[in-house]
Amino acid sequence: MNRLVLNIQYFAHHKGQGSTSNGRDSAGRRLGAKASDGEFVTAGSILYRQRGTKMFAGKNARRGNDDTVFATVDGIVKFERLGRDKKQVSVYAVEE
Amino acid sequence: MIKVAVESKNKKHIDQIKIVGHADYDDYGKDIVCSSVSSIVTTTVNGIYEINREYLQVEEIKDGMILTILKEDTICDKLIKNMLNLLSELSENYPENIMVK
Repeated sequence: MNRLVLNIQYFAHHKGQGSTSNGRDSAGRRLGAKASDGEFVTAGSILYRQRGTKMFAGKNARRGNDDTVFATVDGIVKFERLGRDKKQVSVYAVEE
Repeated sequence: MIKVAVESKNKKHIDQIKIVGHADYDDYGKDIVCSSVSSIVTTTVNGIYEINREYLQVEEIKDGMILTILKEDTICDKLIKNMLNLLSELSENYPENIMVK
């Protein structure tokens, strides 16, 4: 018979189950396009929610201080390329 | 829960003690019930080993061990009895984590 090695966690559940102090996250901010291409919008309508300038403000559109792009006139929304690697959203007034 | 099963054919002599399970009192490394049981059993077994090598056979099984008593020895009998008393006291204080039957 051999002596037992003293393992004071011999009858403990095996490794693992440590707790973690992570596991928190904030709710999603629902960013992205708020109007679709070809849609009619009124002045002041939000076109694109973003952090930074993924989408630039094109014709008849402006960028708010939280980078939100909104329409400045009533019209049809157009998502366009801007240069080689940028995009912009414009609003074209509907001819009466 | 740790289960301590004591087998004895006649009242006077214990034949086998089976100690199996996890205390589940706390995480690994912080489980005080488990460390008490481990220490009590290890101290008793190693103490018996110093007194009478042939008295006891220890078989390690999944999640525990089986102590089979092979001989009669008054001192070792007392050590085993003391171990069982301590484990019983422990089960009174931590009924959800250890049971002696």
